[in-house]
Amino acid sequence: MNDLDPAASLRMIRESQEQARTGTEPDVRLLYLVWGIAWAVGYTVLWTSARGAGGAPSGPGFAVFFALLGVATAITIVHTVRRSAGTRGPSTRAGAMYGWSWMLGFLAYPFIISGVARAGASDEVIGLIANALACVIVGLMYLAGGALFCDSGVFVLGLWILLVGGVATVAGIPGSYLLLATAGGGGFLVMAVLAHVVQRRRRAALGEGGTADD
Amino acid sequence: MTELDAVIHAPARLRVVSTLATLPHDDEIAFPKLQKLLDMTAGNLSTHLRKLEEAGYVRVAKTFAGRRPVTYLALTTSGRRAFEDYTAALTDLLKGARA
Repeated sequence: MNDLDPAASLRMIRESQEQARTGTEPDVRLLYLVWGIAWAVGYTVLWTSARGAGGAPSGPGFAVFFALLGVATAITIVHTVRRSAGTRGPSTRAGAMYGWSWMLGFLAYPFIISGVARAGASDEVIGLIANALACVIVGLMYLAGGALFCDSGVFVLGLWILLVGGVATVAGIPGSYLLLATAGGGGFLVMAVLAHVVQRRRRAALGEGGTADD
Repeated sequence: MTELDAVIHAPARLRVVSTLATLPHDDEIAFPKLQKLLDMTAGNLSTHLRKLEEAGYVRVAKTFAGRRPVTYLALTTSGRRAFEDYTAALTDLLKGARA
């Protein structure tokens, strides 16, 4: 097998590189899917619960919501850490700092919400700020991610989530929850589908060399 | 006829170099991770890495993670250039074959 012809060599290069990327970069389809489900189901639960109670969602509603977010966070961390393990250097460091930025943003989040509540905000105001602030953090993080990884899809998602946050706040309670569930969660799910299509196309282009190794 | 770089033009080493070339500039990959990506035995991979290191294409950094020694690998500038020249030569050959 020492006599590699040029076509076989090029194919081998493409296959090794595709395999290397799969093994070192997170699968964004999985992450979009997980967060799409968490938002779509979680905010639908809050919306149903808020409508039933005629104001703020119930305790059990929030329990389901936070459980979903917790699972999505855990999957995201385990998956990205596993994929990036075993590499080091400037881009690995940049990726780690980006990951920590998410954490830090959402570390400040509960303090802001509870501070607003303690200052006497009504349930409606608290709900609106909680939803809007989540969208602002997520939206800005995706804008930053788009810039960092030079990925315009991620950038557009950031733009979309910011837009959803703005419109949801104007819509008021409980409509805000419904918008985050449909337009917000839906945004993630659309991205999951788009990422899947892009990957299928890339794999298909790889296969043009002639192997059916995929 | 274009001469192909004999150091790279062997299946195992071609896969090693192609994989290392996907790393962003200045990033390095740990030996076990590279081994997993390539699905090669440690001995086999070491042999090929040594040849690439001798050619000046791969840079080897040995450090410690706690007490465990870890070897990090990356393409050198000339390794990256050699890989680019190699793929360019392949493309030329293919064009020549089709013309």
